Amino acid sequence: MGVEMGRERIPGFELEGRDEDGMDRGILTLSVGPQHPGSGHFRLIVKVDGDMIVEALPDPGYVHRGEEKMCEYRNYIQNIPHLERPMIADSCGILYPYVLAVEEICNIAVPERAKYIRVIMAEINRCIFELYWLGIYGIFLGHSTMFMWPMADRELLIDLAEMASGARVTHAYFVPGGVRNDLPDAFPEKAKRHLLYFKNRLKEYKDIFYDNPLFQARTVGVGILSKEDAINLGATGPVLRASGVEHDIRKVEPYDVYDELDFEVITMKEGDSFARAYVPWLEMYESVEIALQALEKMPSGPVRTKLGPNPKGAVGEAFKRVEAARGELAYYLVSDGNPKPYRVKLSVPSFREIPVMAHLLKGAKLADMPSIYWSMNYWPVEADR
Amino acid sequence: MLRELLSPKRESKVADVERPANFNVLVGKLSEVLVRAVDKPLGYAINWGRLWSLWPVHLETACCSLEFGAASGPRYDVERFGIIEAFGSLRQCDLMVIQGTVTRKMAPRVRMIYDQMPEPKYVIAMGACAITGGLYFDSYNVLPGIDGVIPVDVYVPGCPPRPETLIQGCILLQEKIKRTRFR
Repeated sequence: MGVEMGRERIPGFELEGRDEDGMDRGILTLSVGPQHPGSGHFRLIVKVDGDMIVEALPDPGYVHRGEEKMCEYRNYIQNIPHLERPMIADSCGILYPYVLAVEEICNIAVPERAKYIRVIMAEINRCIFELYWLGIYGIFLGHSTMFMWPMADRELLIDLAEMASGARVTHAYFVPGGVRNDLPDAFPEKAKRHLLYFKNRLKEYKDIFYDNPLFQARTVGVGILSKEDAINLGATGPVLRASGVEHDIRKVEPYDVYDELDFEVITMKEGDSFARAYVPWLEMYESVEIALQALEKMPSGPVRTKLGPNPKGAVGEAFKRVEAARGELAYYLVSDGNPKPYRVKLSVPSFREIPVMAHLLKGAKLADMPSIYWSMNYWPVEADR
Repeated sequence: MLRELLSPKRESKVADVERPANFNVLVGKLSEVLVRAVDKPLGYAINWGRLWSLWPVHLETACCSLEFGAASGPRYDVERFGIIEAFGSLRQCDLMVIQGTVTRKMAPRVRMIYDQMPEPKYVIAMGACAITGGLYFDSYNVLPGIDGVIPVDVYVPGCPPRPETLIQGCILLQEKIKRTRFR
């Protein structure tokens, strides 16, 4: 095997008739990223034969900031702001399992109202994330309207989250023992108005994006992931459900008050890029329903169990997982009885999509790479932690 | 003032002009005056053209890219200030917005991208991480600010900065370009 000018000859890879056409027989190795017209600082080393991808080697780690090590020299409360930075589009989702795990280790009881507020904020954040994701999908496929519409509707939901927490995207709203502050008095009414508007607005998305022949041409039948492969490769979240596996942590292992709320797990059988883009759209309906139900059922009362300034955990470990917008997000926390955790491990959904992406890109066309890459719900910042 | 001009010192200087070496100096001064007379309006026109068509590179280094995306969205619409959405090629760009944390693995790539951009080029350091390392000041893999790698024109603080803050940073950069002397 010799490497010359980026062309790598692979022994045993022979295609008949190439020389007669005048084409050079061989494999071209391309480096896509870390600066590319799509999104994220992520590098894909792609080996192409003509237009077909023979092999794709993902190269993550451009935003590795050492979150897990940093947790070890901050106490449980100080850890909150930097732990939501890996995924600030869904900052409640990524903080949720950490808060649950700290509550288990420190043995804190949570008021009932706080549980409902957490569910409302988590579902609003899920919609905020899915809209941003859908907007960037538009950029990937060259569909500018698809960037502008979700970006505009996202601001209404950000207004709600800002009203409750005081910050646009980095809320730091969930704390061990409940939520940081109670909802403003005007919140339930405004939330209902915005969520109902958003629900009506979602119907238009189907007409302009999902029924769009250009969008369908780029996504239908592209990157088909079978049910068996999805399970074996460890896919999670909308990617797994788009392949027909009914798995949602909110149903399988309900946390807070999800077992008291009525919602469905969305699945599709196709498993292609279109299904992976369609499942989040259907899930946004469910999120709106969950948030509206929780607003109705929310009791009054305190929202936070007051802790000391420096809560100490019991000796032991905790493992908690939630369904974030991108899939199963888990924290493993080990405590040695000090105010600071001994070890924190994040299991993030984005990192689990890397093998799935490498599997799907093999055999796809180079032009289909953006639509497969972005349908994976892959976020470099989150995957690198 | 008049006495100063008529003083013997001054007279000797004027007399020296007739010598060929000093005559060249006088011509040089004259040409400088002439160039400035043309240069100022020309420079103004060129700076005017530059500041209303800033093309950012599509380079995202961390989570601040989310607010950069929101600034391009319909509510904030950074395009009305002459900053075009970051979809273009790097060879046409003249603005680099460092969107957050720069890690040790990313820093050589940031420098490589900066070197590939054509002159003139401007840099905005967006977010606390790009300025000093921010929340990650004690992390083992994060640079304490981007200004050790590339020169920075405007610092936009925040974690992440709101889109309004980013727009204010862009306007500050435009003020800076307006005052740049054209060479």
